Amino acid sequence: MRERFHIGRWILILTVIWLGGLPGQPASAAESEMFSNPAVTARLISAEDGIAPDAASVSLGLALEFGEGWKGYWRTPGEVGLAPALDWAGSSNLSSVDILWPAPERYEAFGIENFGYANQVALPLRATLETAGEALNLRARVSLLTCSDVCVPHDFALSLALPEGVGIDMGSADIIARFVDRVPLGPEDSDIRISSAAIDDQASALTVTAESTRAFRDVDVFPEFGPLVTFGKPDIRLNQDRTELWAQIPINAWSEEHPAPLITITDTARAVTSPVLLTTEAPAPPYVIAGAQAGLLKLIAVAGIAFLGGLILNVMPCVLPVLSIKLASVLKASGQSRDITRKGFLVSAFGVLTFVWGLAAVLLALQWVGVSIGWGMQFQNPIFVSLMFVVIAVFAANLLGAFEIALPQAVQDRLGAGSAGSGYAADFGTGFLAAVLATPCSAPFLGTAITFALAGTPLDVAVIFTALGLGLALPYLVIAARPEWVYLLPRPGRWMLFVRAGLGCLLLATAIWLLFVLVGVAGALAAAGVFAATAALVLGASVQWPKPMLRRVFLTISFLGAVLSAGLIASPERPDATANAPSHWQAFEVQNIARHVSEGRVVFVDVTADWCLTCKANKSLVLDRSPVLDRLRDGTVIAMQADWTRPDDTISRFLERHNRYGIPFNIVFGPGAPSGIALSEVLTPASVLDGLDAAATRSIASD
Amino acid sequence: MDAKKRSTLLTIAAIGVGYVALRNLPALLPETLELEPLDQPAGFRKYVAGETSGGFDPFVGLGTTESADVTAQKAAALKRVSADLCDALYGNLDATASIIPMASFSDYYCPFCRVQTKRLAGMTENMTDQVAVAWHELPLLGDSSNLAAKAALAAKRQGAYVTFHERLMTTPFQASEEYLVRLSDDLGVDSAQLIADMNSAAIARELENSAALARVFAFVGTPALVIGRTVVQGQISDKMIRQIIDLEREEGWDIACRSA
Repeated sequence: MRERFHIGRWILILTVIWLGGLPGQPASAAESEMFSNPAVTARLISAEDGIAPDAASVSLGLALEFGEGWKGYWRTPGEVGLAPALDWAGSSNLSSVDILWPAPERYEAFGIENFGYANQVALPLRATLETAGEALNLRARVSLLTCSDVCVPHDFALSLALPEGVGIDMGSADIIARFVDRVPLGPEDSDIRISSAAIDDQASALTVTAESTRAFRDVDVFPEFGPLVTFGKPDIRLNQDRTELWAQIPINAWSEEHPAPLITITDTARAVTSPVLLTTEAPAPPYVIAGAQAGLLKLIAVAGIAFLGGLILNVMPCVLPVLSIKLASVLKASGQSRDITRKGFLVSAFGVLTFVWGLAAVLLALQWVGVSIGWGMQFQNPIFVSLMFVVIAVFAANLLGAFEIALPQAVQDRLGAGSAGSGYAADFGTGFLAAVLATPCSAPFLGTAITFALAGTPLDVAVIFTALGLGLALPYLVIAARPEWVYLLPRPGRWMLFVRAGLGCLLLATAIWLLFVLVGVAGALAAAGVFAATAALVLGASVQWPKPMLRRVFLTISFLGAVLSAGLIASPERPDATANAPSHWQAFEVQNIARHVSEGRVVFVDVTADWCLTCKANKSLVLDRSPVLDRLRDGTVIAMQADWTRPDDTISRFLERHNRYGIPFNIVFGPGAPSGIALSEVLTPASVLDGLDAAATRSIASD
Repeated sequence: MDAKKRSTLLTIAAIGVGYVALRNLPALLPETLELEPLDQPAGFRKYVAGETSGGFDPFVGLGTTESADVTAQKAAALKRVSADLCDALYGNLDATASIIPMASFSDYYCPFCRVQTKRLAGMTENMTDQVAVAWHELPLLGDSSNLAAKAALAAKRQGAYVTFHERLMTTPFQASEEYLVRLSDDLGVDSAQLIADMNSAAIARELENSAALARVFAFVGTPALVIGRTVVQGQISDKMIRQIIDLEREEGWDIACRSA
């Protein structure tokens, strides 16, 4: 602190005089005339009504009340702005005045960081007298800048006379004491300890670490390096029990000429200001980001959300292809005994869980390696999509009666339990496949849960993904619990052939969809290759072969050909679909969003992918229909489309920055919402329009 | 819960919802273009923006204790600009009936002036044949503010006003010769010329004129903007600026100038 002295002692003195003054009520309030306009109301107040005999100093305050939407500035105003200044020329019996600056708040507008006060603040002043015990005449010339959407400077004089005498103005003493409480303590008095401050070689960022025995709650960090060094928005992280803080603050402008640096850390009701010694060794960020405080209760709550998300995923458009698989498994069960049905469905549920666990393991591994990860990302991989296509195409051909799948005898023996034969392996596969096909899109609640899991520890991931899998498998589990529900279906008969054919058609549609995805992911040529090889595989399986050996070789070759051709002949660049058709959609350029917003425009971002069926549903049901379509086309909104069909680091980082790991993701930026309003996974016309309106509204600029 | 309790709770909830709606609804309504004619100067009008207008004393400037000399200079400047307001506002622009002139008043230390300068510069770039901007500096915030204003006007003389402001967005202004030389190099302007211009009588006069204009139009702060004959105080959206430009074009912005 610039003018450091013992605030604790000062509070004590204040309290003593305050209590001491109780019996004798003051005759008149000790305060100056009032300066008032719509931006600010200002007056000088004094805790004491008079100068007590032998009193060497007196506690005063500059009480400021800002109008709604108006802000005033701290001693360090931020990038621009101006600190209040007081000139005491013309006062008598005054030796010096120290201003104590209450902890500021951070205000952000159009990327400009400012530090100051809103609503009500009193700057506590400690006036030292020239002659102790004699009357004090104060004349203050105050210059003060206030800003809302216009910056209005004020320059006015306030005067206050304190005669010799005693008495306490309780109202004023109260106000002053309240804001003295908010003045940051010196390092020796605070329970926050700033442990290091480092600036890297390029002077690109300041890294601060601090610790406290009490857990941090709502923290902010304000460095002061004089007027020539300015900073951006800090990235603040806390450890698990929130007692250690790591903050990195980008440096916007650097100068070697700066006074001894000060750092102020504010927390809900406490603050510290401390001089720091700069080093060049910035400590690495801790693993956990501030806010991700994973208590057990929170974990359970999020697990509940994950379960709900998994359950909802069952009815999302993404799961359409799975429907046929689920139905087929129910049909198959209609002729079986109760016990076998129950076990079969349990195994299916286990298949779902196995996939989800496998996914969690792969995600953790990728995260560990440092690859940015997401939900449904496996659909960006051409080999994965090819494999899915082959499996689904073969399933469809089988349902349509092209051939019967016969598992090798050894596998049947191992998996089949007793008389049930190969049933369980198929059940397991059914569940597994259903889960795979359910994952390309995110769903409401699911995003929250995945975000929490991926930002947390491996244990969080395991718990959340298990809950999610259970939600997704709930339909199977319900039938496992009540197998008799299957008998509500009619007895097997001719009708089953028709249903079988219908389901085959559904699967065929799924296969076609996957082929379409493959065109997006790997290009038309690769898709054609995969298709040809799969066709050969299905044909090869359907015809009679003179020698079984020959058949096996042919099938293996065509299978490998189908799976690998996508990887081998994938075209590196995705053809730009938007270039051909004139459209209101612009390419996604994340770096331009801030500029558009600063120009007062609204930016709507739609992150989509060919494999995301929910995105397609949003597009055809909401985004491509009036009134949303009209709004996106009327020139007031810049619509950006980000295509995540193929891996794209920029888009992954964009999602991650907005705490999402899956798509659909839609977000609106605008003057009213420079940091964006994220919309729900499932769009409605009303939600989109509301978002656009809210983002467009010009709010009080410094909010 | 009995019926009485329930109805009390419902009432409280209704009051809460009503309060929230009252506070937030006006902000959600679209902005409307509301103009109010000014008595002084005649022929001009002001854009009525929300609740920020009115109630302020006409502004003098921070930390200025005026000598008789200064007072006389100010009076002279006031007389000068009052003689031909439009010339003082838009003097250097070759504005025609189809090109709408705008006069921007800004201060380096005012956060929102930056945003406005950037927007207006972008607008003139995109609409060269429709609008033109005259850049005024209105340093209300003390000595550094004054110096920055002089530097900006000196840069303007070498065609680098907007670049100067853009450059100042990344590094804070410093009142040292060394800094001004470095800045000039970055901007690609002649530093000796820049420093000479900063101390010239012409720039002092330009600042006096802008300050006098601010008094004529009773600006309470920065940013301030005059579009044709419409006075705008504080921040305004691009959409509103465009609407005012269209209106000025329809009505003919120079009526105010002809009557003066």
